[in-house]
Amino acid sequence: MTMTATRPAAVRDRQATRPRRHGRRWPLYTLLAVMSLLTLGPFAAMIVVALSPRGEPTVPAQWPGSLTLDNVVQVLRASGFAEWTLNSLIYSGVSVVIILLTASMAGYAFAKKRFPGRDTMLWTFLATMMVPFQATLIPLYVLVSDFDGADTFWGLIVPTLANSQAVFLMRQFILGLPDELFDAAKVDGASELRVYWTIVVPLTKPILATLGVFVFLWHWNDFLWPLVISQSDATRTLTVGLTVLKTEEMQWSLLMSSAAVSAVPCLVVFFLLQRYLVNSIAMTGLK
Amino acid sequence: MRHRLRDPITGLLFVLPMLVLFLIFKIFPTLGAAGMSLTNWNIGGEWSFIGADNYTRLVNDPNFWSSLQATLVYTVIYVPLVMAVSLATALLLNSIVFLRGLFRGILFLPYVTSFVFAGLIWRWIYEFDGLINGVLAKLDLGPVGFMERAELVLPALAVVSCWKGFGYSMLILLAGLKAIPGSYLEAAKVDGAGPWQRFRGITLPLLKPAIFFVLVIETISSFQVFDTIYVMTGGGPAKASYTLIYGIFERGFRFWEFGYAATWGMVLFAIVLVVSLIQRRFIGKENT
Repeated sequence: MTMTATRPAAVRDRQATRPRRHGRRWPLYTLLAVMSLLTLGPFAAMIVVALSPRGEPTVPAQWPGSLTLDNVVQVLRASGFAEWTLNSLIYSGVSVVIILLTASMAGYAFAKKRFPGRDTMLWTFLATMMVPFQATLIPLYVLVSDFDGADTFWGLIVPTLANSQAVFLMRQFILGLPDELFDAAKVDGASELRVYWTIVVPLTKPILATLGVFVFLWHWNDFLWPLVISQSDATRTLTVGLTVLKTEEMQWSLLMSSAAVSAVPCLVVFFLLQRYLVNSIAMTGLK
Repeated sequence: MRHRLRDPITGLLFVLPMLVLFLIFKIFPTLGAAGMSLTNWNIGGEWSFIGADNYTRLVNDPNFWSSLQATLVYTVIYVPLVMAVSLATALLLNSIVFLRGLFRGILFLPYVTSFVFAGLIWRWIYEFDGLINGVLAKLDLGPVGFMERAELVLPALAVVSCWKGFGYSMLILLAGLKAIPGSYLEAAKVDGAGPWQRFRGITLPLLKPAIFFVLVIETISSFQVFDTIYVMTGGGPAKASYTLIYGIFERGFRFWEFGYAATWGMVLFAIVLVVSLIQRRFIGKENT
């Protein structure tokens, strides 16, 4: 730890006296700059095409004559788009709330309670992580449509709520909380629900926030399940809606505007929580 | 004592909501997939038990073998590509201090978007009147039909997935690099080891668990590629990008052969299971 703390000063000192040190670093920065350009390039290209006037040939590698917001406005007004956005918000928002609630409850029980079958249950939860969602797609679809869940919100949302990763993460976090906290509350006569609400929830806020952001992004970006279960604009999400736009022979300028608009929530989440997101992936290895 | 007696019931009650979701939407469909693969279940919900017929059909189905081949070829292209890019960027980020946060943020950015989003943008980049061919035209080269030529479509798709996904592996590797004590590297430096020797002798062996973890999750994710294919190629040209998942999707939701589609699903399950078990064997022990 002390090493990393002193390193910048040491580097600066050496740079001041010996320019060679600085010279050794520039290839690294050049490489990183190239990688960054390759990473950002598609975003930049998308924005330029999205802002190019319709009809005018958007010849690649050539700057359009003028830029306009017309495409974005038209996309926002287009039939379906607002509805799909709302559906995506419902799909992601409801999932976040329910998964946080059920996963933190289960995580608390697995970490701090003893009950028959606990370890078998936990083991089974973890084992299901090895089952790829696509392998269960067909029976899941049959199950949901047998209960008339196709093209309904419950059919879209409920089957995606069984999230073993969320349970496991909550359990690991709560395992680290001291037992004395829970014992003291119980000695004071607090009910289990009260213990959960006044001790577990406030103390797990950091992990709840991280998990909430990830569940939001997973659901916002989800595709295969919404694709098979949403059959009309009533439940269609943005990701599925975009592919519908694509098949309707849409102009690239409009399609790129739609893509740009659809990514806005993810990018906002990213810019607000970048440091936080990045550190939690590195620490917890969230998918 | 009173509290302890209450524990078994409250514990179960707290697990109950998630347990119910799990039983209905994970365990039941998993068993259901195995069961359905032994039936000729169709869209009307009618079915009869046909034993291993779907599996014999699968083995004799040229579509299955070509889709398995497409999936394996895709994996062989994608996994080394994403490993190289994420390891290179992690090493670069680990060797700088100034502006590290900025570069890390930029490189991670595509990860938060969807594969559908990535597919749409890259579809335009690969188009005949798209970005790459536009640049090639300026150089009096091309045009290249990335989505039209069978031998180019899988590498082109692998690039899209790599662009979208390498940020995650990069962060895992970066965390692994940070955990390596700086004193080891300093000591080796004092002993006269060059950068390459230090990398091979110290960094690489200590980073092995992280590399292996990333290798396994990227391999599994490459077997599950679907969104970009749906958006960009529709399995074409001439089934060159018709992968296992695309097969499951098409068998199920274009031909409505649910039983046979479930059989394809079992193959995917088997592959992912084997890869996961290898992971458990190699790093499960070290980490627990």
